[in-house]
This record gives sequence, structure tokens and C-alpha cells, in this order.
Amino acid sequence: MSDLIAVERVGKRYLTGSGPIEALRDVRGGLVVPDGGRVVVDGRPVTGPDPRRVATVFQEAGLFPWRTALENIEFGLELQGVPRGQRRAVATELLGPLGLREFGAKYPRELSGGMRQRVAIGRALAIDTQIILMDEPFGALDEQTRLLMGEWLLDIWRRTRKTVVFVTHSLHEALALSTRVVVMTARPGRIKSVLELPMAYPRAMESADLIALRAKLWSDIRDESLRAMGDA
Amino acid sequence: MRVALIRLAILGALVLAWELLARAANPLLYVPPSVVVPALGRLLVLDSYPELPQSLLLTLREIVIAYALAIAAGLGCGFVLGLNRLVGRAYGPILAALYAVPAVVWYPSLMLFFGLDAASKIAFGFLLGFFPITLAVLAGVRQVNPHMVLVARAFGARPAVVFAKVMVPAMLFTLVGGLRTGLALSVIGVIVGEILGSKGGMGALINHAYGLFRTADYVALVLVTLALVVASDVVASLVERRAQRWSD
Repeated sequence: MSDLIAVERVGKRYLTGSGPIEALRDVRGGLVVPDGGRVVVDGRPVTGPDPRRVATVFQEAGLFPWRTALENIEFGLELQGVPRGQRRAVATELLGPLGLREFGAKYPRELSGGMRQRVAIGRALAIDTQIILMDEPFGALDEQTRLLMGEWLLDIWRRTRKTVVFVTHSLHEALALSTRVVVMTARPGRIKSVLELPMAYPRAMESADLIALRAKLWSDIRDESLRAMGDA
Repeated sequence: MRVALIRLAILGALVLAWELLARAANPLLYVPPSVVVPALGRLLVLDSYPELPQSLLLTLREIVIAYALAIAAGLGCGFVLGLNRLVGRAYGPILAALYAVPAVVWYPSLMLFFGLDAASKIAFGFLLGFFPITLAVLAGVRQVNPHMVLVARAFGARPAVVFAKVMVPAMLFTLVGGLRTGLALSVIGVIVGEILGSKGGMGALINHAYGLFRTADYVALVLVTLALVVASDVVASLVERRAQRWSD
């Protein structure tokens, strides 16, 4: 169960609608109470924030400005009562893969947007859950940084083999990163279609099958986007 | 360095002007620095007012107690009002209105309630220090980025942990600013209280000196009191700078 799942979300506001697929948001650290249905991970229900099983990365990095990059990465472990030396070791080990080796002692204001987001991802990786929820983690970044971060995330994912639920508006991100894409309707948000993407990484985005998938994905999304635009 | 030089020059000019103007006027009312400095010397060797150490200590003790009470009540009140939105919205404006009332109007009643001894000075220092601390907490709570609270909760933080690890550090700068203002006002409250009516402390000495037209002694006492106030503010500003380094 180590898939990288990307979800193409159509229109931000499906979140406020109702329906079983709200579950996606609900699992998000268990911060939202579902209107109906249940959120289940490995057969056990999620009823609240559950940092032992699910880690979360938000669109805004949400780093604590009074903590260094290292201390931010340690945050989840600190809450779990991991001793200082041990959590420092875990966080320090993560700096390399995060591309932040020189930046552990820097404060968030001294880091670029991409670096901050990597710290936020490091904070999620540090608590070593099987599932990581990423809610448009690269949405606030510029295009170039975003592409590079996608490549970087693939690399991390191949090393850690975690299940990543990745919410995105970007067709490119969905197709380049996912083993499975779930398209959601405009509100109320429901699953509209599911695409399986068995291709190997890194993907040649110009290959015939990806271009075909892209067309299929877009046709699924287009109607929903139009509806979302009408809603707005 | 240059700032220090300019500051020194301004001070020098002021002292010089004071000397020249005071010499030209009634020596009973206006004392030049050349008279104040010897008076200050006599004060410090406990010649003119042998009870200076006890008075200083009494004033200091009143300040410490008043400030400690102001911190406890200010933080308590501030957090209760700040974290309970309903109570805060109901009570906040009342608090702000009370703060706007010149606090001296309360002092007569405080003397009636608490007598002429230390208690009424402590009460007045407390009253003055309490408001800025409470209001700083209220402002600080509003400052906390809700996204950070959300993040902390997603990582499993319970309310008490959110409070200690997110809210307090996030509002630290505002909080420390309020504490600094609170200290300054507590000091003012205690000293003003002593001057308005008391049997001990620096204020009583000051009253005594100017009541007897011992103007040079009076000015010397004021200078000692000033040193006390400045020292407390220097300590507070050091703490504040430390907090500033922490926050964004």
C-alpha cells in the first residue's frame, strides 16, 4: 500500500460541500468532522488528529518562525515525547534528502518558499507515518520551483515508499507523480473517475499514453471546472 | 557610538543651561547642579537622609509586589478574555474604557480601602500595571496565526500544548512589550502613590524634602528615584530585545 496517489481537485470549494469523499479532507489530520460516512485507515477509524498514522503537509508551510528548520522538523516528534537527542538525530538525518544540509540552523524567514515547504515536508516525514496527506503542497510556489519540487518529492517517495495523498489543481503534477489519480466533482465533492498510471518514473510527459491520459483527465475535469467557475 | 556622543552633548548642554538659569533665580526654589551634586553626595553617604536604604528597599518591595500581582492578574485576565471569544467580546470594551480613565482618580479610594501604608501603594502600582499587560495579552492572542494552531493540532497537540508551544511563543514579542509597559506603570504607580500620601518609601522622603524647602536634597532624592526607574526599564528592555530575536 505504498502508492503515490494524486487527486485532481476541481474548484476549491468542493470542500465545503457534503458527500462521502469529503473523507479526503477529513483524514487531513482528522481536523474536520465528516458530515457522513467514516474515515478508515487500515481498518481502524480516524476520529481526530492521528499523528501516529497520518502526517499532513499544508499548502502554506506553516512553520513556526521562532524555531530553526531543524526544530521545526522535530516538532511532531517533540509532541510525541521523543527525547531531544533522538529527535535531533532523526531531523538531522532528514536534512540531506530535504536538500537543506546547510540550513538546519536557519530560521524560516531566512529560507526560500521552496525550502520552507521542504521543511514542512520534513516535519511530516519525521514522524514516520505510513500515510502523508499533502494538500496542494506546492500550490504557493512558482512554476519552476514547483516542477523541481515534484521531481524531488518523487525521489523522496521512492526512498520512503509512503502512501502520499496529494491534492493538486495541476494536471502536470497529477500525471507526473501519481500511480493513481482520483478526479473529484465540483461541490458536492464526489469521486468522478479514477485513473491508474502504472508507467515508470521519471515519466516522459510527451509519450503517447501520457498524452492520451492527459486528454482523458482534462475532459473529466473540464465540466467540473466549468461548474466550479459558475459557482464562484 | 555617535549616538552616545550626541546624547552626551545634549545632556551636557542641559546641565549647563540648568546651572546658568538656576544661578540667576531664587536659590530657595531653583538649585543649580553645582549644589545638587554635593547634596547627592550627602544623600548617598547617608548624611542628609540616613533612612535612605530602608526607604529605597520599601519602595522596591512595593514595586516588586505590585508588579508581580499585575503580571499574575494581567496574564490571567488577558488569557481568559482572549481565549473565550464571547467573554472577551463582552468585556474587552469595558476594559479599554477603564484603561482610558486617568488612574489617579482611583487613588483616594485606594487610600481609604488600604490605608496610608504600603498596601495602598501596591494597589495603585498594581492597578496601573495591570491594564497594559491585560491588553497586550488580548492583542497577542489575536495575533496568533490560526494556521499555526491548525498545524500544531494536526501533529497531535492538545490545547495546553498548543498554548505553550504555539500561542505563547507567537505572541511573545507583544507580551513582553506589554510587560515592559506594565513595569514602567507599576513603578510610576507606587512612587506617585507614595508622593500623594505615605509614611515611608522614596515618595515620603521626597515629600519631606520639598515640604521643608530642602530643594537640593529634594532634587537629589528625585535623581535616586530616577535611577531606580531607569534601571528597571533597562532590565525590561534587555528582556524585550531577547524576545525580539525570537519572534519573526
